[in-house]
Amino acid sequence: MTGPSSKNRRRASRPGAPAVSLIRRRPFFVLSTLLLLALVAASWGRVLTQGGSGPGLLSAEAWRRAGEFVADLAGAGEPGRPAFLVWDSWRGALRLAGDTLVMSVLAAGLAAAGALATIAFGASNLAGRGSVAGRGLVAVTRGVYILTRAVPELVWALIVVFVFSPGVLAGAVALAIHNFGVLGRLGAEIVEDIDPAPVESLRTSGAGRVQLLFYGVLPQVMPQFVTFLLYRWEVIIRTSVVVGLVAAAGLGYQFRLDLAFFRYSDVALLLIVYVLLVWAADLASVGLRKLAR
Amino acid sequence: MTSSGATTRAAVWRARLAIPGARTQLTLILLAAFAWSALSLDTPAGLIHTGGVAALGEIALAFVTPDLSPGFLRTVVSDAWTTLAFAVAGMTVAVIVGVPLGVVASGVLQTSRFKRLGVMAAARAVLAALRAVHEIVWAILLVAAFGVTPAAGVLAIGVPYAGILGRILAERLQDAPGEPLAALRASGASETEVLVYGRVPASAADVVSYAFYRLECAVRAAAVLSFVGLGGLGLRITTALNDLAFERMWTAVFALVLLVVGIDLWSALVRRRLSR
Repeated sequence: MTGPSSKNRRRASRPGAPAVSLIRRRPFFVLSTLLLLALVAASWGRVLTQGGSGPGLLSAEAWRRAGEFVADLAGAGEPGRPAFLVWDSWRGALRLAGDTLVMSVLAAGLAAAGALATIAFGASNLAGRGSVAGRGLVAVTRGVYILTRAVPELVWALIVVFVFSPGVLAGAVALAIHNFGVLGRLGAEIVEDIDPAPVESLRTSGAGRVQLLFYGVLPQVMPQFVTFLLYRWEVIIRTSVVVGLVAAAGLGYQFRLDLAFFRYSDVALLLIVYVLLVWAADLASVGLRKLAR
Repeated sequence: MTSSGATTRAAVWRARLAIPGARTQLTLILLAAFAWSALSLDTPAGLIHTGGVAALGEIALAFVTPDLSPGFLRTVVSDAWTTLAFAVAGMTVAVIVGVPLGVVASGVLQTSRFKRLGVMAAARAVLAALRAVHEIVWAILLVAAFGVTPAAGVLAIGVPYAGILGRILAERLQDAPGEPLAALRASGASETEVLVYGRVPASAADVVSYAFYRLECAVRAAAVLSFVGLGGLGLRITTALNDLAFERMWTAVFALVLLVVGIDLWSALVRRRLSR
């Protein structure tokens, strides 16, 4: 989750004028609000004219089908016991959850390694000092961050499976590419906010570039970076299920298969295990973040 | 006095037993987790396709030669509009559902302590349930229930994002600095007036910039919703990949990047003016 940076928070905590007078005072807000309203109206127009197969949302037929689907999830349409009451199905689902966990940890690690290796090039106060080439390097690095971040994980997964065999690694790489952009951008912003004094004193005492990075920059950056990495890991775990749909690994893939074969109580079991996994990951992340402070 | 003595003693014992500090522990845990994950992969031989390297070359070549023919560009612009429309419509639902829930979950309007705790817990549980499941999983479930309809797509974005927006709003309203609020109360403002004239202005910049960030996420989510049968950029990317038309795939991807960058710029403009 990307919270607004601490700088904004500090500024925002200053009590401002009431929202009403804010709008009256600034034409920019009037323009922005009008643009937003026009966008909302046009969007609903576009969405509602989009054809679709299936009953309208407010028709009785749609609600009957939704009710039937929920009953199917609870195991109503199946002859035997629903899957979430069978120990063997639980064992299988938990093994898949293990795969999903591995995928998420690999993805977070790869993304963090990639981001840490490049943030020095993406920060204008390090690479961008003085030379035109340096500023070009910053622009290119930032451009790569923007591209990788703008494309969702699932689309990266569709592309990645052309190169990697479907499986845990392919899913992890797809997740890592997107999160590399997220972490890289944030890391570069943290680097741009660091206190220059320790770096300068190292520089004057003759430290080389690599030494500056390791002893001047990274120690200041790491606590915030690791905190953010752990937040991202929570997001990655939620998304690894979705990536699994196309990368053919973990809970996501089984979810897709069970849905395709109308094994609805298995779908329900996978949803239960998924929510438990997300919940456990959130708890673990909170605990680990305490260590980072 | 005693507590500081206890901490020093604990520190001495930690040093004697060579127990590493919190940050070293964290580093070790993270590295161990990564090593364990890497080791539980299959044998490296099966990880890359036989034609994988060649495919990588083609994809890289197509990156610098995207399909920019006028006809295809028109299609992509129309797809981009569909994707943006679904994102904006989903966000409207998220705001309409999430803002009231968020205000209730913040508990700032209830004066009686008992009632406040009950109402807060209930609203928070609802918000947590909404956001626990990823938007694409919501989409699959909604499509299974309602069929491939635009409403399923809009709700798939709106429902989980309402949970996230509501939570952030609740936290920001609670964290509003106390002194201006106390000043308002001293001049006779009711809790509703304190909310409107004290808490809302104090948290506006954060909440608006977070809502913009979520709109950016909604654009990405809308792009992949075509996976469950709704049109847009995602459908274009999927069909291009099925045809091995990497040039077309990159054109659609670049359109997505432009959408996200555009929202990012707008958000930065609004944020700068709000926090001034």
